[in-house]
Amino acid sequence: MEDTEIISLWKTQNQKIEQSLSINKRLLVEAINHKAKTALQSIIRLKIAGIISFVLYLTVQISLLSYAVANYSSALNYFIVSISAIILINLKGFADYIKHLIWTSKIDYNGNVMEIQHKLSKLQMSIINHTRVMYLQFPFWTTFYLSDLWFPHSVGMPYIIFQFVLTGVFIYFTYRVYKVLKVENLDKKWIQQLMAGSGGKSVVKAMEFYKEIEIFKREN
Amino acid sequence: MSPLEISDKFISVIQANKGIIYKVTNSFCTNEEDRKDLEQEIIVQLWKSFNNYKEQYKYSTWIYQIALNVSISYYRKEKRNKAFTNPLSENIIIFSDESEKNDTQEKTDILYRFILELKELNKALILLYVEEKSYKEIAEIIGISETNVATKIGRIKTILKQKFNQIKQN
Repeated sequence: MEDTEIISLWKTQNQKIEQSLSINKRLLVEAINHKAKTALQSIIRLKIAGIISFVLYLTVQISLLSYAVANYSSALNYFIVSISAIILINLKGFADYIKHLIWTSKIDYNGNVMEIQHKLSKLQMSIINHTRVMYLQFPFWTTFYLSDLWFPHSVGMPYIIFQFVLTGVFIYFTYRVYKVLKVENLDKKWIQQLMAGSGGKSVVKAMEFYKEIEIFKREN
Repeated sequence: MSPLEISDKFISVIQANKGIIYKVTNSFCTNEEDRKDLEQEIIVQLWKSFNNYKEQYKYSTWIYQIALNVSISYYRKEKRNKAFTNPLSENIIIFSDESEKNDTQEKTDILYRFILELKELNKALILLYVEEKSYKEIAEIIGISETNVATKIGRIKTILKQKFNQIKQN
């Protein structure tokens, strides 16, 4: 088959098809009036649900912290430090989440394919940084319940060892996750599992496509 | 232009270029439901970008850019995202003559099948090639150099020819 044959096959058949195509004007008007729910809008709805959850979660934490500060006693030191750290990390996560939502809503497909797909893949991959930061709060969940009224002087050595091991394990786990949770490690199965709650599959797909774009751009 | 004039203008642009949307969606989707969903998504995105349309480009170039970008992104989307969409019950672009569709569909099926098997970016390239776009225009739409376009199209054509020849031999 020659080049001209491929083109003429396409042209002849599609010309006939095009003549038979017509527009359903009513549906077209509905679509441009945003009556149609697009896939992008559904992602934005998911993010808005995420924002509401984040706000509720932060409100509870900030209320608890405010109460602890207002009724301060040294017994609450562990709690105040731990919850403050958790709040700061979640605030950062919240800011990232909103940033992501704004970027998503501003996607404009009007540009060359390489440029737009490159941007979209990077946008999806940026979720990885958000997840990475969120993992930093883990060790503080092992210390917020401690109180200097009973820890460490009123507990036995086994509990002290248990507490150090528990917090130590969480610190090590967080450190490992923070260090390895990077785009270049996304091909590892356990990293994909860690990302599962943050749209891991789509991030992996985005990374694969990003690589494909890079190869495609190369002159050869 | 008043909002009504803008929407009339948009409708006439879509009317004149409906074939592009049809061919792009057909090259990216195998089933009718997905095709309908993608068609709708492309039209919404075209409408959103209509105000930013730059007159230095042809309408067809602008439509190809957006249709290909939306199709490639749609193709990569997870199914769970698609499940949240609420597609229109009918197609926006419809066949007014079903018998014509059946007659011609058979002949183009093989070519469409081959195009469907290609990776998204190659699919976009070959689609523009069979539409007889110049290498300059293809380079502009895809965002790679003309030399790169020529090399890649040459390679895809070789694959297509081999596949057609295999069918002939069988």
